[in-house]
Amino acid sequence: MILDYVIAALLVIAGFFGLVGSFGLLKLPDQMTRLHAPTKATTLGVGGVLIASMVYFFGVAGTLSFHELMITLFLFLAAPITAFFIARVQLRNHVAERDLPNPAREGTRWAGHLGQDSSSD
Amino acid sequence: MSLALIAALPFLGALLPGLMLRAGRNACATATGAVTLLALLGLLSHLPAVLRGEVVQARFEWLPMLGLNANFFLDGLGFMFAGLILGIGLLIIIYARFYLYKSDPMDQFYTYLLLFQGAMVGIVLSDNILLLLIFWELTSLSSFLLIGYWKHLPEGRQGARMALTVTGMGGLALIGGMLILGNIAGSYDLTVILENREAIQQSDLYVPALLLILLGAFTKSAQFPFHFWLPHAMAAPTPVSAYLHSATMVKAGLFLMARLWPVLSGTDLWFYLVAGAGLITMTLGAVIALFKDDLKGLLAFSTVSHLGLITMLLGMGTEIAAVVAVFHIINHATFKAALFMTAGIVDHEAKTRDIKRLGGLRFLMPVTFVIGTIAAFSMAGLPPFNGFLSKEMMLHEAAHTSTLFMVMATIAATFSVAYSLRFVFHVFFGPKRDDYPAKPHDPGFGMWAAPALLVVLVVLIGLFPKTMVGSLVATVSKAVTQTDELPYYSLALWHGVNAALIMSIIAVATGAVLLLLHKGLDRAWIAAPRPEAKEIFDALIGAITRFFSWFTDLLHDGAMSRYLAIFTAACVVIVAGAFFSADYLQGTRPMLPITNASIIGFVLIMVPTIALAFLHRNRYLSLVLMGVVGLILSVGFAYLSAPDLALTQLSVEVVTVILLLLALYFLPKETPKESSPARRTRDAVIGAGAGLGIGALMYALLRREPDNIGWYFLENSYTGGGGNNVVNVILVDFRGFDTFGEIIVLGIAGISIFAMVAALMRSAGGKRLREMAKDQVKIGDRHPLMMVVATRAVLPIAIVVGAFIFLRGHSEPGGGFIAGLVVAVAVLMQYMASGLEWAQARQRVAYHGMIAVGILTAAATGIASWFFGYPFLKSTFGYVTIPPLSKFELASAMAFDVGVFLTVLGAVMLALAELSRMGVAADPDQPVNTDPMDIVTDGGAIRSATKDS
Repeated sequence: MILDYVIAALLVIAGFFGLVGSFGLLKLPDQMTRLHAPTKATTLGVGGVLIASMVYFFGVAGTLSFHELMITLFLFLAAPITAFFIARVQLRNHVAERDLPNPAREGTRWAGHLGQDSSSD
Repeated sequence: MSLALIAALPFLGALLPGLMLRAGRNACATATGAVTLLALLGLLSHLPAVLRGEVVQARFEWLPMLGLNANFFLDGLGFMFAGLILGIGLLIIIYARFYLYKSDPMDQFYTYLLLFQGAMVGIVLSDNILLLLIFWELTSLSSFLLIGYWKHLPEGRQGARMALTVTGMGGLALIGGMLILGNIAGSYDLTVILENREAIQQSDLYVPALLLILLGAFTKSAQFPFHFWLPHAMAAPTPVSAYLHSATMVKAGLFLMARLWPVLSGTDLWFYLVAGAGLITMTLGAVIALFKDDLKGLLAFSTVSHLGLITMLLGMGTEIAAVVAVFHIINHATFKAALFMTAGIVDHEAKTRDIKRLGGLRFLMPVTFVIGTIAAFSMAGLPPFNGFLSKEMMLHEAAHTSTLFMVMATIAATFSVAYSLRFVFHVFFGPKRDDYPAKPHDPGFGMWAAPALLVVLVVLIGLFPKTMVGSLVATVSKAVTQTDELPYYSLALWHGVNAALIMSIIAVATGAVLLLLHKGLDRAWIAAPRPEAKEIFDALIGAITRFFSWFTDLLHDGAMSRYLAIFTAACVVIVAGAFFSADYLQGTRPMLPITNASIIGFVLIMVPTIALAFLHRNRYLSLVLMGVVGLILSVGFAYLSAPDLALTQLSVEVVTVILLLLALYFLPKETPKESSPARRTRDAVIGAGAGLGIGALMYALLRREPDNIGWYFLENSYTGGGGNNVVNVILVDFRGFDTFGEIIVLGIAGISIFAMVAALMRSAGGKRLREMAKDQVKIGDRHPLMMVVATRAVLPIAIVVGAFIFLRGHSEPGGGFIAGLVVAVAVLMQYMASGLEWAQARQRVAYHGMIAVGILTAAATGIASWFFGYPFLKSTFGYVTIPPLSKFELASAMAFDVGVFLTVLGAVMLALAELSRMGVAADPDQPVNTDPMDIVTDGGAIRSATKDS
């Protein structure tokens, strides 16, 4: 009984965030902010459905299901990379060179490593 | 030796010259000669049987449903022709060994020659007329190669083309005629057809059949008005001319007329057409030959004339005339081959064939002189040579046919004497000259051995005709006429004083006078206007070409939209016509309830489809929309319980999108508007009509109970193919041969892309592409760390998934095709992540090789079943247990599936790698990376991983 409630709650949460994500995709003003919407939809929306599914199979059907973990893994691989590419294109095509944050210079630490002059890039 | 083997030997032997040339030109010629000799010995082994009047047969079923069988038979007629083809062929091979120049590729020559020889032997031994037609066309093709052997000479190329056009056209007519003949007789076997004389001659279709067959025979045998190709074929090397125009190619038409003589001859139409054409050709050829200065041109027209003579004899329709025709075929082959070889020797040694530049060669080339003179006297019909015998008999027949024939035959004989004497006197007699292009002398023994042997035959047949060829002529004549008793005739030099002898004497005397008057006549001939066959032919061909260029350009203006519009509109009209002219029967299957899922699927597939029609000018957007349609389609397949299709569709979709993305790189992002609104409306109407039509068709089909062979596959999938996955069993077992063909096509497609990209990058189009690619917006760092790491992580997973899909494929959804695509996508991602250079450096197996291994594996699997006595690709299966895995099934079809897998992987990767190579080449300014990603750590310091190429 409690399990049913938990599953239902997870599904509702998932549905809600899915809706929010889709709505945001339509409503948000520019590309960079719009990028946030589908990531919410995937992580919380799809994540909710997956957890609900696992709980259902474990608690109600009585079997362990690992499919959801695989889906999660691939989702976590695909979503950030997609977002990363979209952001890059956006930066490249719609933001002027001078508005970009400075690349790592010689001697500064960036991403945990020593930087080098960007002129050779 | 089996007849089929005799016909096949030259074809098999055609592989040898190319291999043997490495061992030297003598080895090459010996190997070729050995093949022909072997076939000749095989033929001669049947001689006793043939002389007894038996018919030797060899029968194999090939396509019995079509009536096409590899049936061979050998009777007297076939034996004589096969003997001439192989015997003279052997002499020609010896002669050509010494005739060909050092710079001529000898292996090609002998290969063409053997191909031609095989085709000719095939014609004369075929029992099945469809098989005969195949060989007939093969002679046209292989003679094209032979005539055009000296590719560097424009005359050679033009002559070869003309010969192919004329004989090929005749071949087409012959196909029609033979099919009609076969239909009348009810069988395509000659032995049956030859027994149906009454039925054939009384049929309404006799006239068209006869006309078409004669068209084939006349073009091949250079009968008026198709005689013009033969002299132009003289541009070939002399051994080719000697072979084609003495014993083989042109005799094929005569063979056909002789072969079908029993069923076709005897009617008025046959007489007027065949005897008439023969008579005209004989006279015309003889007259023109006298005025040819080119030695081979003279011989060519003389050949035309003699072919006309034989045709005329066959056309007379009497049995005795057929006997004479047979006898003259033998005689003509012997002296004409010798004459051609003589002309070749003169040409080879004196470096000219122009009679006006020759003369006095009897001192310089005594051996050639003797050979040439004997052969030419035989051609002139002088006693005691064999040409005299058959010419006397011919004149006898002509004298007994009508006055016209008598007069014309005498004229032809007169000119024949004149040109033969000219060949002797203007080349060998007269004063010795000192302006030959090269100092002539007799060639070595190898070159004159063959013609010498032939003139020995000329003399022997002339002196002792009965002993030499008496029984052969009788047997052959019986085969031609299909009778057991021949009318009385006598092969002898002296028949007493009769009409023929008087005509002969007149001919010789007038011929000699003509030769004396030659100078004046020649001037008059040159001054006289006369039609030039080559110009007429070229004008005709030009007109035909222009008309069809115009017609083709009218239909094919290069606009894809026009082709599609014509094609689609035609389909719609035809199908609509068929639909509305018949009654429509409502299907009986009940409609299924509409579920929510299907509504959603319907909307999801319809919206992008319709949107595509409006947004297609934006190419990237349309690609996205297409991708959506593809994905929903896969979902649809899964929903409708077709998991195999869903998996395939999904992986194909991914590969397609990537392929198109790579291609779009070279194209403008927007398609410009090129067509007017009116045209777009027209296209929209056509498109909507076709789409709605297909929809209606689907509806009608789905409402019916399926009546197909699907149930058979379902029932036999496990018992017959050992798999529960019916789709996979169909692919690798039931229809394995189809799949085998398909993977070959796929491999060819991959390799074609490779070839086309290579060619494109070198061409002007490649330059345009490079210009276009420069305008593309670049993303900056091309190999981001995140992407690289993620694809590396996915690679092993994807390969395991591929292996899994492959292994389970036979019993559950999956299979080699899908596995190949999945693995291809995984490897492809490495290319995308780290770039072409990096990926290529790590790829140890060439994709070409992968395609080849794949196809060979599939073929080997298929062939393996032969060793167990089963047909090609018959599969077997069993169960094995490898601890710690559970028991699983191993089917031989799996090896086939490995082939499919490798081919798919190789072809897809080759295509994609080539397209990305094109992208790299298109943008030479881009640095080429050899490191996996753009940012690497090197001793703690960040440096740019790219280096300039």
